[in-house]
Amino acid sequence: MSGGGICIRGLQKRYGSTVALAGLDIDIKPGEVLGIAGPNGAGKSTLVRIIGGEEGADAGELSFDGRAWSPADNWHAVAVVHQEPQLFPNLTVAENVVAGREDTATGWPKPTDADINVMEALGLRPFRKVRLADCSLATQQRTEIARAVARDARVFLFDEPNSALTNEESDELFREMHKLAGTGRMVVLITHRLRDLVSHCTRAAVIRDGRVRATLSGQALSEEAIARELVTESGAQAVAANARGAAQAQPTSLFSVRGWTHRSAFRNVDFAARPGEIVALMGVEGSGARELLRSFAGVERASGEITLAGAGEVGARRLRSYVPATRVASLYSNFSVGENLLVRLGSPEIAGPALALRKRRMKALAEAAVKRFLIKTGTTTQPIRSLSGGNQQKVAIAQALNCSPELLLLEEPTRGVDIRSKAEIYRLLRDYAAEGKSVVMFCTEVLELFEVADTAYVVSEGRLSPPLAIAGYDHVEQLATDITRLEAHRHIAA
Amino acid sequence: MTSAETREPADARPNLSAAGQATFDLALRMGGLFFAIVLVAIVMFILKPNSFNVDVGISVLRAMSSVAIMSLGLTLVIVSGEIDLSFGAMYGLGANALAVLWIVVGIPIYAALPLAILVGAAVGLFNGALVTWLRIPSFIVTLGSYNLLYGVSLWITHTSTFNPVYPPPGSEIPPAELDFFIGLTASFGTHPISLEVLWMIVLALMVGWLLHRSLFGFRLMAIGGNPTAAQLARLPVTRYKIIAFVLCGALAAIAGILDFSFIQTTQPNIGLSYTFPVFAAVIIGGASLSGGKGTIIGTIGGALLLAELQQGLALLTPGPHVQQLFLGIVTIGAVALDLVLTNIRKRRAA
Repeated sequence: MSGGGICIRGLQKRYGSTVALAGLDIDIKPGEVLGIAGPNGAGKSTLVRIIGGEEGADAGELSFDGRAWSPADNWHAVAVVHQEPQLFPNLTVAENVVAGREDTATGWPKPTDADINVMEALGLRPFRKVRLADCSLATQQRTEIARAVARDARVFLFDEPNSALTNEESDELFREMHKLAGTGRMVVLITHRLRDLVSHCTRAAVIRDGRVRATLSGQALSEEAIARELVTESGAQAVAANARGAAQAQPTSLFSVRGWTHRSAFRNVDFAARPGEIVALMGVEGSGARELLRSFAGVERASGEITLAGAGEVGARRLRSYVPATRVASLYSNFSVGENLLVRLGSPEIAGPALALRKRRMKALAEAAVKRFLIKTGTTTQPIRSLSGGNQQKVAIAQALNCSPELLLLEEPTRGVDIRSKAEIYRLLRDYAAEGKSVVMFCTEVLELFEVADTAYVVSEGRLSPPLAIAGYDHVEQLATDITRLEAHRHIAA
Repeated sequence: MTSAETREPADARPNLSAAGQATFDLALRMGGLFFAIVLVAIVMFILKPNSFNVDVGISVLRAMSSVAIMSLGLTLVIVSGEIDLSFGAMYGLGANALAVLWIVVGIPIYAALPLAILVGAAVGLFNGALVTWLRIPSFIVTLGSYNLLYGVSLWITHTSTFNPVYPPPGSEIPPAELDFFIGLTASFGTHPISLEVLWMIVLALMVGWLLHRSLFGFRLMAIGGNPTAAQLARLPVTRYKIIAFVLCGALAAIAGILDFSFIQTTQPNIGLSYTFPVFAAVIIGGASLSGGKGTIIGTIGGALLLAELQQGLALLTPGPHVQQLFLGIVTIGAVALDLVLTNIRKRRAA
């Protein structure tokens, strides 16, 4: 029997065919900082949206201090502090704190004494008259907190709040979090940084596949323990990692960069991928891993020496294909499945002389691609949005592979994809690599890396770790521990 | 019918329903417009039976042709996800540039006419370059060029009116050139129909091919549907958007020149009032202002519906306010209908 706080039982939420929450149970107690961890697509953000009242649940019971509670109607009690503050950049800090609570006043609103005290307490006083857009991210987040405190919110959800903050700024943020908890408020911290969970949370819940898999507290709350819980294989996912390494023997690299330097994210990176090799880059947000992959794709600018299949910078452009992280950036919602598959092709593949489209050939190519890439669709002419998330992602990857690149670059290739489609996508990547091509991907999940990659590099503060040969690991837990150690290693060194 | 149904295997049902859905969509979309065109014709016939004849029909086609030609170009720009407000002023500049080059400067019509069209293309290049290279929103660029072009029209014509049949003193128009120019839109047949209608049909077929049958159109749809993805996939976003603007400018100039040939008079301010009817035709035709969606047949249908309403109401003479009211109602109504139909479609799909 929980005395006060929020109690959630059997929370369920589906988006079309994707299950985001599958009967999630969690308690949030006043005065504590509750940590939540989980891989991408586990249901963390859905949980935040439901508690924050932005979305309704399909099923489940929520209670607040023992009474039934509907966050959508009672949203005043909850404050969500986003990674990207959801505020009014054109107003001043003080106006942001006041906006939305003008009551019946018709004049330009002024902060009350209570509001000024709140700002004072959060150290916002010097910024009162500054336009929010001109403030640092940390100040903007503090403004968001001030806004919530001023309207007397009881629950504070921090969604990846410090991923773009400096160390000093995050320390400051954590101090505010503890202060909030100290006044009997409920604080929830959602983060990928295991270190923060261990050092700042009373308890940490690990969410996977829409359920809480474990809740750790006290002695049991350690980085290794969370890492283990994050990757422990669920029954359906027992894919053996033995098909890998077919082309390991080939010593020559197909793709390489030397002295590869970005204006801020990384510097002096040397990297190579062999034909037939699948290389994974791993790193938390801000580590430079994502930027590194995007720079290989030419989407992010970097300088240095690049070689792909014997060609330099200019020649490499035609030989590589990039799959963006979100389907919003790769698929065309106004197009059918078939058109989405062919959109990157040109003359002569789908257009003849004078650029006339070869409709019959397009139909044949689209049907061949649907078959080859195991896309579950009724016809090639149905709208892309009618497919499940996993199949949409297969279309996105197929679209890139259709240009027959030498190097395939993927950013989070299975984000928000169900387990079966994941396995099929891994097979596609494996098959493609087996043709003597290279695949480089940025991923955020150890399990993914364990299942599909040959080699992994952990990126931390813009530097590559020594390569990890995945074949050398029998258990994913071992790999997770090593990766956690490599991610932390640089932090200590720095 | 029954044999076709029995031949379908049981597991091909999603197949059938998807194809059925596509047909249903098209019928809803085009059918709604077609239905409206027929409905308006029937209502006009009931209200005024004796004026419903071939000649009125032909005058509707003539009246729609310049709006339709401009809306072809605008459809391309809107499909690419941009907007063009300057085509009305370009129509005026096309006609006035031709008038000045031909009648005042004395360049033979055979050179002056392509030059005037080139002016339209150059304006499109100007618009497109500012939109893509300097990343100025197309709304602002073309709002600016609308005023710029009108200014240029006033400037080069010294705010005067031109008629090649009555050239200003000191100018001489060779009769052969005059015949050629007027012949561009000459009427023929027992029920005289202007060649301008033929030009509209030819241009509609060409632009229709370009948008629906060529790689250019395919990629333009992609660029309008998801510019980010198109950029990441290295489609020629900049080049194709500029081409869309160039074609829009050139088509507006052509529309202006053809109307000039038909009316034989040009004034500095012609075309400006076409801005909204052309937009209305494209939107009624089903194009989406957010890009990636639009058809040439729809745009032509939209132009036809508007011309029909305009001519019909002119015959019924209920007063000038009614035409304006109808233009407003039809524009909002078409988009509202489209949203309702889209919701129905989504509900069927879910």
